[in-house]
Amino acid sequence: MYDKEKQLAEDFVAKKIGRRDLIKGMSALGVTTALASTLVNAAATRALAQNGFNWRAHEGTTIKLLLNQHPYTDAMIANLENFKALTGMDVQYDVFPEDVYFDKVTAALSSRSSEYDAFMSGAYMTWTYGPAGWIDDLNEYIMDPSKTNPDYNWEDVLEGVRKSCAWNGRPGGALGSDDAMQWCIPLAYEQNNLTYNKRVFDANGLSVPTDLDSLVDTAAAAKTAMGDGYGIGVRGSRSWATIHPGFLSGYSNFGQSDLTVAGDGTLSAAMNTDVSRNFHSKWVEMIQNSGAPDWSTHTWYQVGTDVGAGKSAMMFDADILGYFMNGAGNAEAGNLAFSAFKANPDAAAPTPNIWIWAMAMSSFSTKKDATWYFLQWVTGPEHQLFGAQDMDLVNPARSSVWADEMFRNKLSASYSGYVDMHDVSAPGASIKFTAQPLFFDLTTEWAAMLQRMVAGEVPVDEGLDMLAESVNSQLAEAGLR
Amino acid sequence: MESTSLIERILRGIAITVVILFFMFPIFWIFLMSLQTNETILRVPPSMVFEPSLQNYRALITGQLETQTGTLEIRFMGNLFNSFFLSTTSVAIGLLLGVPAAYAFARLKFRGSEDIAFTLLSFRFAPPLLVLLPLTIYFQQIGLANTYGGLIWVYQLIVLPLILWIVRGYFEDIPADVEYAYRIAGHDFWATFRKIALPLAGPGIAAAGLLAFIFAWNNFIFALVLASADKQPVTVGALAFITASGIQYGQIAAGIILSIAPTFALALYAQRYLVEGLSLGAVKG
Repeated sequence: MYDKEKQLAEDFVAKKIGRRDLIKGMSALGVTTALASTLVNAAATRALAQNGFNWRAHEGTTIKLLLNQHPYTDAMIANLENFKALTGMDVQYDVFPEDVYFDKVTAALSSRSSEYDAFMSGAYMTWTYGPAGWIDDLNEYIMDPSKTNPDYNWEDVLEGVRKSCAWNGRPGGALGSDDAMQWCIPLAYEQNNLTYNKRVFDANGLSVPTDLDSLVDTAAAAKTAMGDGYGIGVRGSRSWATIHPGFLSGYSNFGQSDLTVAGDGTLSAAMNTDVSRNFHSKWVEMIQNSGAPDWSTHTWYQVGTDVGAGKSAMMFDADILGYFMNGAGNAEAGNLAFSAFKANPDAAAPTPNIWIWAMAMSSFSTKKDATWYFLQWVTGPEHQLFGAQDMDLVNPARSSVWADEMFRNKLSASYSGYVDMHDVSAPGASIKFTAQPLFFDLTTEWAAMLQRMVAGEVPVDEGLDMLAESVNSQLAEAGLR
Repeated sequence: MESTSLIERILRGIAITVVILFFMFPIFWIFLMSLQTNETILRVPPSMVFEPSLQNYRALITGQLETQTGTLEIRFMGNLFNSFFLSTTSVAIGLLLGVPAAYAFARLKFRGSEDIAFTLLSFRFAPPLLVLLPLTIYFQQIGLANTYGGLIWVYQLIVLPLILWIVRGYFEDIPADVEYAYRIAGHDFWATFRKIALPLAGPGIAAAGLLAFIFAWNNFIFALVLASADKQPVTVGALAFITASGIQYGQIAAGIILSIAPTFALALYAQRYLVEGLSLGAVKG
């Protein structure tokens, strides 16, 4: 049963036939696209088993994962049987809702629990977990050919994303430096760009903004056009997560940073430069004139829900949030379009700050080598391709997956402008924050000051000076200045 | 005899209606939301006109949640069972241990009794996370991590002090003379406790049990830190509807309706005891 189909899939994986021939052949055999994809994925797994690497070295071992409830996790679970068949290992997992996920991770790691061998993490979180000795440097596995299969192709992981998961642990140390520890390996990532409602834009003759000034103007025009709605969605809650998406992406495009690292390694606030003041003024004006009336409560959920429900005309936030909101179940499904955004008219290209969902290994795991087998499989090209083609593993972290024709066609068919947006902004995409232990506190304070500026409690200039003073004093208190 | 005028009755009726509307409207609105899809819930402006559907309840009961990105497996009914099992068992054990202890603290004056009672109460003062992180380590060492038994034990931190201190007040309010009379009639201490003290403090015990059940039901952090996903209560499980790909408002509303149903039914059933029990201890004779 399925012998011919399997052969076709294997020929395709072995690059004996092209994608067009595969599709034609499968169609002739009456195979659905979903089944064809499953067969190709199974063939890829069999091919992986034949690359000379001993995938069964840990046969019979059971590992346990701690996972966040997310489409990336769905992709992982959907493909897990192939990993089990490949290695003879068993994988157990606990999935927790995102709202409580990091509480669970922190509790497990800080109590030095050996229950979980590996877990999903954001790159920012590893700035706490790594120096605390809770997670392992994965370089020692990646660089060891006896532990890593020859087709892993580490360099295939997008450079900005890969380096954003590596830090040397020194406050202010550049991400991805030569002496950096690889605290986690990316599964997928989010860039911050524009998602706009094409229906609203077309109906009202609005053009897609190309820089900060036109963003402010277009948001104002869109607000007028929206009636009960508003012009632009950006996050506003008193949280570090307000700074990291659109705000920091636009800010860093002007060459601005959160902190300055001096030659002796000391840090100081960099938010009160003239360029920064100008950027903050325009951002505050945009929210006051065209943002959500309850902007100061807006998180990922409100920003996304409003653009999906047709309440806002556009958002400057994670591209994958727009991707989800363009799907079935949303009033504006199919109407959303995407555009790379370069806030600075003089910049060569967009420089989006990114959020990365990555896999990290617990230092308290008692089965580290076996766990690494899972990590290299789940972050490897075969699983990433499966996730991107068949599930919602967007944005995959590997360039080979972005080059895949089927994946690009899938995106282009339903997500207008998504592929172009990614291609334009991916080269400049990386984490733009300075890695340091006070990251969450200082960035949350930045968001709080932004709230005060938008509320008119404090003028932008004065607010930025106050913020810089407070940041500097906290850095000094922590011995970082 | 006091008589009520028509106007007074009308005004009282209006006042009661306003109060009921004020308190019940959010629940009514949530109920309406539970019968709608996300798309109709998020309409601008909101409307009460819609085609009702049971799909949210169906999704919760079957464990298959349709989201923007496909079908998501959820364990809401499992979470509901966990909440029910953990709360009921914890309160049962709490009553079994707490009521005799409360009686002892109320009736028997022994050295250090107040210190012990206060120590038990102080369990309620400690921030849960402060207790939970060391407990995680101990539980792993003694094999209680990720077990219902371990969780029920930790739940005693919530229910036991509550039951002990509330019920102690009721026992203290029962005149000791009634018990002495029964003892003089030739009955032993245990029989006096069972036949006299317990029935007289019954409403108070019911009220304490109900309050302890509500507190245990609403707990969130203990199971989150100490147990795996399959042992999480409904308070954690309900968060599964807030996903990166959107908030499932309809399912959240249906989940709220299902999860408040047991406490709501219990409160309605035990309302008489609750009011009686709470007011009994409020006034000292």
